[in-house]
Amino acid sequence: MRAIGKRSLASILAMGLHFVRIIIWIGFVGLSIAMVMVPFAVGITGWLSGFENLDINGSVDVSGGDYLEIAHMFVTFAVMLFVVNRLLEILKTLRFGSPFVMDNADRFRGVGYALIIGEGAKFVFAFLGLIFDADLEVDIEPITWIAIIAVFVLSEVFREGARMKEEQDLTV
Amino acid sequence: MAISVKLDRVLLDRGMSLTELSERVGVTIANLSILKTSKAKAIRFSTLEAICKELDCQPGDLLFYEDDAAD
Repeated sequence: MRAIGKRSLASILAMGLHFVRIIIWIGFVGLSIAMVMVPFAVGITGWLSGFENLDINGSVDVSGGDYLEIAHMFVTFAVMLFVVNRLLEILKTLRFGSPFVMDNADRFRGVGYALIIGEGAKFVFAFLGLIFDADLEVDIEPITWIAIIAVFVLSEVFREGARMKEEQDLTV
Repeated sequence: MAISVKLDRVLLDRGMSLTELSERVGVTIANLSILKTSKAKAIRFSTLEAICKELDCQPGDLLFYEDDAAD
């Protein structure tokens, strides 16, 4: 099976990413609902406990940390959506044209910056989590930073490739 | 670009069209247009040789150097 072009591995990858994008959007909707519902969580629990057939035990305690957790997930999902969209655009050029275009170099660079923002946000939310006593699970992974460097290198490889292709195209 | 191609002038002198030259040298009109409008980044010796042969001219008749800084 071919790696690039129509009906290739790139096509399968694009299909997978389209699926991931749908999941992210569902996550966004879920988070938006959660954002609206959290302030009413105590009232809703109290209202539900009024029903005889429902057995609701325990209490709901809403703190600033809950909003922080939702905000953290919002940022994470936004970064994921941005990266997936850029990757889909890159895969489109792999399937239907030449991958060595300046736009792809810019897209890879955009992915790199988005990943930096995502990782930077982790630090910010971890710090805010300490202040608001939120139970945030923030993992700082060295492999992500290695991936960020690799993406920037890849961006420059594509830039050089695009430059060489332009030169080739304009050689008579 | 500092190097410009005066293909249109030589074609005019020889009374030859771009299409005719394209057929004679076996280079597409699109590529000859790139050359004519000085958008080309490079020219192969084989292309230059074929053009010079068909137009009965020297490379120096086609290529001119102009200092960009002088603009």
